[in-house]
Amino acid sequence: MTVKKLLSASILLTLLAALPASAAFDPGAYGVPKVKDLYLVILRDPDAQLLALEGGKIDMLSDLARPVDIAALSKNPAVDMSLASGFHAFFLGFNARTFPWSEAELRRAACQAIPRERIVRDLFSGYAEPLATYLPPVSPYFEPGVTTYAYDPAAAAKRLADAGWTKGGDGVLVSPDGRAVPPQKILSPTASVAPTTTEIAVRAAEALTSIGIPTTAEPMDFSTMLARLDKRNFGMYVMAWSMGKDPDSLYSFYSSKMDVPGGYNLSGVQDTALDDVLDRLKFAPDGTAAAAAASEAQKMLSDLVPAVPLYSRYSISAIRKGWKNVFTSERTTADNLWTLLAMEPESGPMRPLYLAQTDEPRALSPFTSTTAYDWQILGMIYDGLMASDPETLEDMPWLATSWSVSDEEGPEGMRTALAFTLREGVVWQDGRPFTSADAAATIEFLRKNEVPRYYDSVMHVEAIETPDDHTLKVTMKNRSFWHLHGIGGLPIFPKHVLETVKEWRTWLPAGEKSPDDQTLTGLVGTGPFVFREYRPGEYVRMTANETFWLGLGR
Amino acid sequence: MRRRTLTRRWSFWCLVLLAALALFGGRLFSAPPDAEVAAPFSKPFWLDRSLPPTVTADLTPDAPSAEIPWSWGAPSRFFVAADMVADAPGRTILWTKPGGRTVEIAPLKKGVERDGRDMAFKRALGLPPFADGAASLLDERGTYRLSVDGQGPWEGTVRLRLDGGRWGLFGTDQRGRDIAALFVAGIRVSLLVGIMATLIATALGTTVGLAAGYLGGWFDSAAMRLVDLLLSIPMLPILMALAAIWGKGLWQLVLILSIFSWMGTARTVRAMTLSLRDTAYIEDLRGIGAPTAYILRRHLLPETLPLLLATMTLGVPGAILSEAGLSFLGLSDPRVISWGRMLHEAQTFGTFTAGAWWMLLPPGLGIAVLCLAFLDMGKYLEERTDPRLRGGALS
Amino acid sequence: MRSYWARRVGSSVLILALVLVLNFVLFRMMPGDPVASIVDPKFSPEAKARLMEVYGLDKPMLTQFALYVKSSLSFDFGISFLTGRPVADELRSRVPNTVALLGSSLLLSALLGTWLGIQAARKRGGALERLVLWGGALSYSFPSFFFQLMLLMVFAAAIPIFPLRGSLSVPPPLGGAALFLDYVWHLALPVLSQVLLGFGGWALYVRNLMVKILGEDFILMARGRGLPERRVLRGHAFRMLLPPLLTILLLSLPGVVSGAVLTETVFSLHGVGRFLMEAVTGHDYPAAGASFFLLALLTVASTLASDLLYGVTDPRVRLERGRGR
Repeated sequence: MTVKKLLSASILLTLLAALPASAAFDPGAYGVPKVKDLYLVILRDPDAQLLALEGGKIDMLSDLARPVDIAALSKNPAVDMSLASGFHAFFLGFNARTFPWSEAELRRAACQAIPRERIVRDLFSGYAEPLATYLPPVSPYFEPGVTTYAYDPAAAAKRLADAGWTKGGDGVLVSPDGRAVPPQKILSPTASVAPTTTEIAVRAAEALTSIGIPTTAEPMDFSTMLARLDKRNFGMYVMAWSMGKDPDSLYSFYSSKMDVPGGYNLSGVQDTALDDVLDRLKFAPDGTAAAAAASEAQKMLSDLVPAVPLYSRYSISAIRKGWKNVFTSERTTADNLWTLLAMEPESGPMRPLYLAQTDEPRALSPFTSTTAYDWQILGMIYDGLMASDPETLEDMPWLATSWSVSDEEGPEGMRTALAFTLREGVVWQDGRPFTSADAAATIEFLRKNEVPRYYDSVMHVEAIETPDDHTLKVTMKNRSFWHLHGIGGLPIFPKHVLETVKEWRTWLPAGEKSPDDQTLTGLVGTGPFVFREYRPGEYVRMTANETFWLGLGR
Repeated sequence: MRRRTLTRRWSFWCLVLLAALALFGGRLFSAPPDAEVAAPFSKPFWLDRSLPPTVTADLTPDAPSAEIPWSWGAPSRFFVAADMVADAPGRTILWTKPGGRTVEIAPLKKGVERDGRDMAFKRALGLPPFADGAASLLDERGTYRLSVDGQGPWEGTVRLRLDGGRWGLFGTDQRGRDIAALFVAGIRVSLLVGIMATLIATALGTTVGLAAGYLGGWFDSAAMRLVDLLLSIPMLPILMALAAIWGKGLWQLVLILSIFSWMGTARTVRAMTLSLRDTAYIEDLRGIGAPTAYILRRHLLPETLPLLLATMTLGVPGAILSEAGLSFLGLSDPRVISWGRMLHEAQTFGTFTAGAWWMLLPPGLGIAVLCLAFLDMGKYLEERTDPRLRGGALS
Repeated sequence: MRSYWARRVGSSVLILALVLVLNFVLFRMMPGDPVASIVDPKFSPEAKARLMEVYGLDKPMLTQFALYVKSSLSFDFGISFLTGRPVADELRSRVPNTVALLGSSLLLSALLGTWLGIQAARKRGGALERLVLWGGALSYSFPSFFFQLMLLMVFAAAIPIFPLRGSLSVPPPLGGAALFLDYVWHLALPVLSQVLLGFGGWALYVRNLMVKILGEDFILMARGRGLPERRVLRGHAFRMLLPPLLTILLLSLPGVVSGAVLTETVFSLHGVGRFLMEAVTGHDYPAAGASFFLLALLTVASTLASDLLYGVTDPRVRLERGRGR
């Protein structure tokens, strides 16, 4: 089914004209960004963001969350909206280590008792997808053939009765072995960024109470809540995750090996069969094995119900009319790299583009920045070896034009060897050529310094080789298909800049001057935009990288 | 002399009214304040008379179709649900527009629900994702028909509900709760926090001030250093930190507020005690061997009492505003309905930009009026202790 | 006399030391994990442990305390957990905005308030006195954020004569004068809102003080001697008014910083108040510790300064203080 992305006919037509007739996405149709000046206006208040878009102070607004804003903007004739499914997933989690959630039948009944559709309707006005599975449907590894538990409190009650559960005089469930369900609390954050989360906890508590599980919501400071989850001091919680493109997140969430302090297996479900499958997923030798293990894991999870999937938020973005060549797909809203590369005013000369930066940029260091807000900027400066196709989410060549994954015999069993062929003719924003030495230096730097953000990607690197300027070979310590994405997804930094970094923890590249060019900072990448200036509290200014490699052949 | 009578101050009657509402206001509403009574973001009933009323219709096997005459704009919600024991294969729920065009709503199944906001329903209707399902199903005036179509037996009820956009005195909030009921419930929280926090703070401040002033010595300097210390910590951030440590409950908030607002009272009481301590009659009392506690309780405390009453009343608005500020920043218990919380929710759900002033003015002005009333009351009490200030009535 | 000042300074130092200890204990007492907010859900337990190590949170408490005291006293303050930048840098980029906002609004509301207060005291029962009384009452009773949001809705959204956000246009105009005007235009609405909310309190205070002063014997005597009203006011009454007024001005400095939290939030200003709030809610120990320490320093300094000022402007106080303590 094709979902029409709410674009006006005119933009759809331009899109069709701009893209080759074949359905596949062609990055070759893009080049150096047409927009020359890009301002990221710091607008932290959602009201200010909305008013700025309506008033034409900014051209694009991403991640709209409030239904009122979505309703207002979709009626605004000056604005086009786009919507895409994403990897966001919101769960109600259990602590299955102790009674009552150690009882799988009770977890299943709870899953059946929660009115997802109503929650989505009432809290998001329908702008979220009710979720019944452990990976969101947009995932390439999504398995549709699993047991789901549609909302049906009567069936939930019957399920429990069939399994020998009874109800005490006070309406509280009693397990088949005679234990009454003690009062339960759902931990939820009160952060003002997620005003709906507590509402969801309250509604879930009402639903569970109605089937005989006396439950209340317990809102608390977010980091307090995380600390309690870390200490496994909870019965239930609600939390949103970004599941990521790769299904190995299932390993982090549900393998009993991750049920350690600091680990993300919060539910504590112990099941050796599940552990085996998740091991096969995590250490899959190739894509086929990974897909098979992912399917099987999803089937087992839907039977075990370690958590109740509730919904997945759509990403929704708004762009002012008057720009052409806006790219959208079922999986990306208008605010993507391709739009930034291709967009230009429908009429008149080129003008600066204003985007909303919805939080203050922080360190603006690729080593210490962990927020999406910083990476909105850094992501335009740095490139990885691989990217993903905006239509299919499949791997796509980027700084590497091709790669191969092979198994080899190591001292401790099989291990993965990755070989990347790097693109020729790519130059850094300061004019120096990009070679395999840069990629090798990047991996080496991240590994040597154990930079937390990249720790999981580079800690299993055994050896790095650069036989020539455009070949990079990385040998890993163990075997896993996901190493390809771990290494292929790293942002690549210039070796000559890395050599000047004395202490990565305190390195503030945005405040440094490049020795080659006084108009550049320490933020030098190969990406489409060049960082120019950050004025705290006001804006970040970037300009088009006129030497961006995607424009090479044009 | 006119201003001396309590009953002639507007603030007195205002407080009496608010207190009465806080105590008995809940009885004005049939549903509890946190119940969903109407569609979210309904407007007040007196605001926009062109909005439709709420219309419902039930279909049963005996009456398998219903006609709905419609002469308004789009309703805010379109909701159909089938309340059945078993599925009815071969039967569907149909919606016929005045022009005769029919739209299939859903197959007639147990527990089936369709709402104009559901993305899946919008897709099934062939609508783009940002369309309003209710508006597209009721896009003209005339007589609509909801019916159960097809062959085969069925049992149960199909319910249709078209929510109008108006409700109550102040409309409804994002959860469809009656804002008027929330407003009345909020009075209680504001009064409770304001009065309790000030009472505790005054008691604490008086005790410390009396003891420090009368005993002097190391206790005095320790107490005054503590006062200086607490005064040198900014209030709002420390409230935020403490709210995180102790939790965000109402009583925690009252306690935190009182811990950070007793210092002024302590200083005033200490100064008064110092000046009274050396007066002849207190010295006489000491001379005849009266116990310290007796002197404090019977002579010093009553002297400071009128002033205390005034500072206390004047302190209530501070506590109320602090609670509102914290709630507005999202740092209060979301389960406790207070005016600050209402403003916070209104803001996070986008009513400022939507211009929904009927949701904002009641809690905002409520806080202001309540604080003004306490201030005026405090001034009245102050004037009685210091008549030179008279003439400052807010009238 | 010397010993009085020595004691005052001594107790100020003591308070600062207590604030330091309190800051350290308080933030570490807060339940929750300081690195929680910077961790990506896909971090492995090892990666998380590495993060704790990077921020020095794996060290023993006493070591952490020693480091904290050292960094506070040297005004270095370390690196913010949340932003990854030196706290000193963060503060430096924010202090100018906050000083401009609070300084100008405090000064304007004090000037307007004082003038109104004096006029109201002179003409008891007039319209001006009514204005002062109502203004004062409103400033103590109106939730500031509500008032400011309303102003923003009316004068920035509905009738867009003021900017919505920030302290500069994007991109900022070129040229010093244009830049300055742009800055003033951006700060106009926040400052105006603070003045509207603040002048009443001042006016009420001055009025009450002035009513008392005008009732004093020496004023009655001056009037009795037939001095012109203006000279009575300027020469006698105002001199009596000045010391308490300046004291209040100084003492209100730390308090207005709390107000900055809300004002900067509403008007999206890059200032210290918001930084403080984010530091506290985000468990950013270095940033919160630094802000609280600096605020305590400001409080102690302004208290000392007000004492000093009192001593200079009002010789009677010196005697009183010398005896009272």
